[in-house]
Amino acid sequence: MTKKTRRMFLAIGVFAFAAAAAGLTLSALKSSITYFYMPSDIAAMAQKPHSPIRLGGLVETGSISYPNAQSGADKNSLVEFNVTDGAETIRVVYAGLLPDLFREGQGVIVQGRFTDDGARLTADNVLAKHDENYMPKEVADALKEKGLWIEQEKAK
Amino acid sequence: MKPSLYDLANPLRFDRIARAALPWLVAATIVLMTLGLYFALFNSPADYQQGQSVRIMYVHVPAAWMALFCYTVIAGASAVGFIWKHPLADVAAKEAAPIGASFTLLALITGSLWGKPMWGAWWAWDARLTSVLILFFLYIGYMSVWRAFPDKTRAARLAAILAIVGFVNIPIIKFSVEWWNSLHQPASVFRGGGPTIDGSMLTPLFLMGGAYMFFFAATLTQSMRSELAARRLARLQEIDARSSYVLVEQ
Amino acid sequence: MNGRQAIILRDVRLAFRAGGGSFQAVAFFSVVCVLFALAAGPDLRLMSKIAAPVVWTAALLATLISLDQIYRADREDGSLDVIVATSDELALTAAAKAAAHWLSTGVPLIVATPLLGLLMNLEAGAYAPLMLSLVIGTPALSLIGAFAAALTVSLPRANLLISLIVSPLYMPILIFGAGAASAGAAGDPQYAANLKLLSAATLFAAITAPLASAAALRSNLD
Repeated sequence: MTKKTRRMFLAIGVFAFAAAAAGLTLSALKSSITYFYMPSDIAAMAQKPHSPIRLGGLVETGSISYPNAQSGADKNSLVEFNVTDGAETIRVVYAGLLPDLFREGQGVIVQGRFTDDGARLTADNVLAKHDENYMPKEVADALKEKGLWIEQEKAK
Repeated sequence: MKPSLYDLANPLRFDRIARAALPWLVAATIVLMTLGLYFALFNSPADYQQGQSVRIMYVHVPAAWMALFCYTVIAGASAVGFIWKHPLADVAAKEAAPIGASFTLLALITGSLWGKPMWGAWWAWDARLTSVLILFFLYIGYMSVWRAFPDKTRAARLAAILAIVGFVNIPIIKFSVEWWNSLHQPASVFRGGGPTIDGSMLTPLFLMGGAYMFFFAATLTQSMRSELAARRLARLQEIDARSSYVLVEQ
Repeated sequence: MNGRQAIILRDVRLAFRAGGGSFQAVAFFSVVCVLFALAAGPDLRLMSKIAAPVVWTAALLATLISLDQIYRADREDGSLDVIVATSDELALTAAAKAAAHWLSTGVPLIVATPLLGLLMNLEAGAYAPLMLSLVIGTPALSLIGAFAAALTVSLPRANLLISLIVSPLYMPILIFGAGAASAGAAGDPQYAANLKLLSAATLFAAITAPLASAAALRSNLD
């Protein structure tokens, strides 16, 4: 095999490897190694995963409740809320301190595992996710007054 | 004669130009930093969601920009030095590394300080944070290669190879928040569709970015001058030692 | 047999000799796993949760300490100068060295993995994903590691520098590899994505590492 032939084969080989690498990467990114799942992703699964997962979405308005409020124990010791992405909802139970930014309509990422019956996610960790919009309070208030305030539909 | 990068190739000429430019660079840094901090701390509004803690952004975000920018400068200078053998390219790359590493560390620390009130966590292993941490280790490895080889010509070539290999991390950092669902928020400034950040907040951001950039330019210029002077001194000492050796032989 | 095949054969033979690199790698691999198992304590559930990532980390560390030796023998007996001077395609030779390293270090680690999995109470469903991720990922470790060895070949003792150079480059491999191993066990859909990214990383390393190694060898030897 002459040097030139070998060079050609090498070039073809490099190109083939590079193409394969690029193709694999694109394919993987489409299915997306995610830091978190959205409720629709969970709903699309055949069965709820039994391993610890991260769930991301918005806190559904009106869904926050404190089950311990009646029983006389510390109200903040247990909180339940829904995480939604507009299409699907998952109920989350959390026994810990919520971050400052946590409130209705806010993006959150919770980490935990589903209960055995799959009805709820018991969260070990709740993180509030900030979107990419930064604006002064006055502008936000003015927009709300004018009725132009658009709540984010997806927590991304 | 068309001006080209090779006009700067003569180290003595570079030193003359650098010495003239340095006061201006330092002055620009001070002015922009003062203005930037004033705007950041006093003359810009609090964010509608985060309140006052958004002000950490004005230190954190430009630092992250510089972390990526400095590594790009190092990789570019390494390529120029490796391919075209421009004499100052390697010196530029070598001196830019500690500055870039410091900016990366600043970005990581201020990001962590900002993340605690904002997200509720000091750290998370999402794609953006992890790849910036990897960038910091790349800087450390790069600087270690320079230190490990006493022959600086050899060190320059080997460090250049490492810098170019590590450059693959830069697009990963930039696009990590687009490609993967991550905790770190997506781009607010450099994105298709324009910035999603209010004008009153863009001003201090760009002022601080400018301040950091002039700081980088000033520090790099001064470091390069020192390094070139140290090399001249070493060469002169070597010649001096050799000539005394010749005298002894007589 | 051509020169490159001879190099691979010699390296593998040397490594499998008594006191050679293969045994050291497997021994260190086992020691790290045992230490993690001891540190995790008697909680079997905890151990099986961390088993796959621990095995991956131990494999990475065992590979890391073997990297200094890749070019050491060649350097000491002077054959490295001959190889670099006479090789028609130095990048291919560098790739051959990386292949030899994988055969002598990566493959024994993979073979030892099921036994260590038993030790760490690895779940039954996790063996296949772990082995697959190691089969795809350890060549990347050898390729990138051989590059770091080539970069430092003219230094007398380069262990610390090799670790500093190689750790940011190894981190993505570890993330995808251990991620695939854990996700595969849990039936998590991220298994496929992690494996694809791991494969892409190995392919990318197969292209860039030999080229970079060749450049590094030449820079070190003139």
